Amino acid sequence: MKTEDFLREVVALPGVTGNEGAVAQYIAKAFEPFCDEVTVDGLNSVIGHIKGDGPKVMLCAHLDEIGLMVAKIEKDGALRMRNVGGVDPRILPGMRVTVHGKETLMGVIGAKPPHLLTAADRAKNYNREDLYIDLGMSPERVNELVQVGDFVTLEYAFTPLLNNRYSTKSVDDRGCVAILLRAMELLQKTAHTADLYFVATCQEEIGSYGAATAGFGVDPEIGIALDVCHAATPGAPALATHELGSVVATKGPFINRYLRKKLDEIAHEINVEVQSGVAARGTSTDADSLGIVRGGVPTVLLELPLKYMHTSVELFDMHAVTECARLLAAYCSAIDESWRDELWT
Amino acid sequence: MDLKQLCEFHAPSGDEYKLRAALLEEAKKLCGDENVRIDRMGNVLCFKKGTEIGKPHVCVSAHMDEVGFIIVGATEDGLLKFRCVGGIDPRVIVSKRVLVGEDLIPGVIGAMAIHLQSAADRQRVLDYDGLYIDIGAKDKAEATAKCPPATYAYFDTPYTPFGDNFVCAKALDDRVGCYAMLRLMEESFPCDVTFAFVTGEEIGLRGATGAGYTVRPDIAVILEGTSANDMGDVPPQFRVCEAGKGICVSFMDGASIANRTLYRDMLKIAEENGVPHQVKRATTGGNDAGAYQRAAAGCRTIALSVPCRYIHSGVSVAHFDDIEAQYALTRAFLKNV
Repeated sequence: MKTEDFLREVVALPGVTGNEGAVAQYIAKAFEPFCDEVTVDGLNSVIGHIKGDGPKVMLCAHLDEIGLMVAKIEKDGALRMRNVGGVDPRILPGMRVTVHGKETLMGVIGAKPPHLLTAADRAKNYNREDLYIDLGMSPERVNELVQVGDFVTLEYAFTPLLNNRYSTKSVDDRGCVAILLRAMELLQKTAHTADLYFVATCQEEIGSYGAATAGFGVDPEIGIALDVCHAATPGAPALATHELGSVVATKGPFINRYLRKKLDEIAHEINVEVQSGVAARGTSTDADSLGIVRGGVPTVLLELPLKYMHTSVELFDMHAVTECARLLAAYCSAIDESWRDELWT
Repeated sequence: MDLKQLCEFHAPSGDEYKLRAALLEEAKKLCGDENVRIDRMGNVLCFKKGTEIGKPHVCVSAHMDEVGFIIVGATEDGLLKFRCVGGIDPRVIVSKRVLVGEDLIPGVIGAMAIHLQSAADRQRVLDYDGLYIDIGAKDKAEATAKCPPATYAYFDTPYTPFGDNFVCAKALDDRVGCYAMLRLMEESFPCDVTFAFVTGEEIGLRGATGAGYTVRPDIAVILEGTSANDMGDVPPQFRVCEAGKGICVSFMDGASIANRTLYRDMLKIAEENGVPHQVKRATTGGNDAGAYQRAAAGCRTIALSVPCRYIHSGVSVAHFDDIEAQYALTRAFLKNV
């Protein structure tokens, strides 16, 4: 399956944190042709096993997405909402959403018409508490079909842009799940000794819980986490952002130095461009929780640069995705017994 | 042409070319080639001879233009700077998709990620100076070559029926009026009728100003979409009208005061013909009635509007029953003039 086709389909599926069943089933099916065994664990992490005799390695990218949850149904049928993960309320007015009630319902988050806005209205952003979802239904029908606690996904569209760039929702982090899938495909033609577990983790957006529990189940010796990072946009602090076109590999106290060094060596050998990032403390990715599973897992982190993270128009460069997959496959194929002794050198 | 096809045309004020051409073709079929013309303001005027003599000449008018955007430049890193054409609250376009230019180049209006925002950033409203369209261009040269200044940009939202007989689309203001007119043009009425599809309403009632002078009707009936503002936290006194409760008859708005007799007649005709109707309860906003009323020696005007939630956004919402009621009441009026 082409990476573009996989992404178009996988970002369309609902997978708000805590409700990832649909997207987990889809990813499990996509993993199957390349794995010896695929399982979906108790929390909805997908684990694809490609057997080997060497060190046990867990690679992971999260499959859950930020979204909303119905918090209250007003007398007129308007739905009040709460965040699941970090949703910027500024993106919500004027957005079409999908409410996952007893039926899948289209809803609209409206805003006051400009004709009726006062100068004071215009000067401040909407708070999430001021907004509501309009289902275009009577309150009776709304109460019949929707309950407090139902999940809501943001507007979906898959938009190819110029220069092999794309914009859609949930590239964080299904863009990295696409990298895992592409690397698995490449590994079919490459010899490897490592015992590889490709994991699409759940519940990252509220605290990386899926990586901790899946990591416990897999019990790896080496961890490789993949997530998104920020590409430069106007007004964004320069130190916190990277170029859009190539993958970023983080350095810092949460990242195993040997694994990180090998990444540079292998990238150099196969001519993949890698940008360096620095995280002085936690990385706010699955790398943090995977690193302390059981007795600890030496871990390295790869990041896909993204513009407009946590909006419905996250923008990425497909070249960075395919190059990162190439690097990941070569890296997996290079891991052997000798790495065990070198991890803390 | 149905409402979906009408809404799918991209025609912000000043960029009505494709829709105008399509309306002209449609009008020729319905009124005959010799009765249809494009006037000096780019309006499409269609004349239907009345079946009786001695009746007033009525102009039924809807505007063909919609709100949209226009490119004004590009940044060094290839992002397009833009302004709105017609009134669009910049707060409703963050994280939304647009199509740019005749080739409909896809673009997105992004915003700095929430992770990178300072407390002050979160408070700051992103206005047109702080927003840009990203088409994926690598630099200013590529962006400008693809989308030079003065290129128009459009909301990229599909036409979607949803809920209990509602529809969500861009440009319902005022394709609902255009749709009602195309349906009315299928028949003849006792009075002479000019159907006017006018331009430039959203930037100051410009088309109607010319049409009013050219047509010089005795009565002008303006078919519009108007703000509903009927859900959520809006206090009752600010609720303009309610979607699904019938066509909205205006006694006054920011641009004109309706002719008192016409207003009373219209309510009476609605009552007699069982057309669901309501009275517009706010006097803000304005529409082409203001231009017709004061064109040439002046004429009597009334506006009949479909309540639209979230008007002037990419996701305006209207009820099909109200769209039907606009047609039904206008038809009953033309039969009874």
